[in-house]
Amino acid sequence: MTAPEPRGELGVNPLTPFTSEASWFCCGAAWGPCGAHGGGACGTCKSGSMQCAWPNASAACFNETRPDTCGDGLARLGCGHGFSVTGVCSGTAISVSIADCGPNTQLWCGEQTCCNGTCGTDRLIDLTPAAFSAIASLSSGRTAVSVHS
Amino acid sequence: MSGSLGDDLVGRRRFLTSAVLGSVAAVTGASMLGAITPEAAIAVGPAKLAAGAVDPDFAEGRITGINGNVLLVAGSDRTLQRIHVAGATSVWKLRTTTFEQAQVGDGLYARGVRLGDGTLAADAVWLNIVNLDVRITQIASRMLHLDHYGNRVIGHVVPGTSAAVYNGTPAVSDLSLLQVGRHAQVIGAWRPDTSAVDISTVYAAA
Repeated sequence: MTAPEPRGELGVNPLTPFTSEASWFCCGAAWGPCGAHGGGACGTCKSGSMQCAWPNASAACFNETRPDTCGDGLARLGCGHGFSVTGVCSGTAISVSIADCGPNTQLWCGEQTCCNGTCGTDRLIDLTPAAFSAIASLSSGRTAVSVHS
Repeated sequence: MSGSLGDDLVGRRRFLTSAVLGSVAAVTGASMLGAITPEAAIAVGPAKLAAGAVDPDFAEGRITGINGNVLLVAGSDRTLQRIHVAGATSVWKLRTTTFEQAQVGDGLYARGVRLGDGTLAADAVWLNIVNLDVRITQIASRMLHLDHYGNRVIGHVVPGTSAAVYNGTPAVSDLSLLQVGRHAQVIGAWRPDTSAVDISTVYAAA
């Protein structure tokens, strides 16, 4: 198991790759408890699209998610910004773009998910069901991912 | 992906597709392959898509009919889907289960291979699955009262299935460390047309 990587540079250089936890969230037209979520902070979010939520998508978003309280200095990146996300367990890589604000990183400081000796620490990105299910099972709820911009 | 696992899974995906397309030999073979875990199905990987693109190999919606091994699904965006389920398809409904547990009215997410006729050959189907960020408002016998962004949700504890993960430690069946007022993440199965879910896993701080 590897030690959590330092994150202080993330806010300085948005191109710095990092490893974190990821979960999934529904958005857009949906059934069940997801039905009220709507198109997310960007207004374009759909569960069936390759999209993500980012904790610092705007100043208002940052004030809700506060990744800095976990020591994560994430850069401000707005709607439509693209990431490459690789599932640490599956090794599968996907491309996603920001469509919502989240996850609420401050609620999960220090939480880890590990796979193959690599750990993702803190929830720094959430994926739509289409994106998450491409790299891990939805029933797992969380997975470790490596992310680069 | 490299190595024999990836090669085997790619071969399996082709096999699954063949099964859906109706080859008798392939259908027999697909059944012999048996159910696999969602993780194994996912390891095949999706087709390369641009960031933000709609994934053609993914479907969501509610089941409006079941015709043999085909799920008729009305997407939440009102698109109509036909989803083929084979013996090798991974099916989840609160737990890993079988296609026979699918019912009209169930919500679903499905991942597989989009065929030329527009139908989806499913590698994995998740029935009624929800992932809720909640605050625990009350704890009763075999039941959690949850606040999900201002909406009240009842979480039913299912003996032998429901589990808790505290601070990232391995899942345990003991939910007694959950606390009122704390936040949690709930993976569960929605009870269609209600505000209740059956709990699969609760992620929480102890």
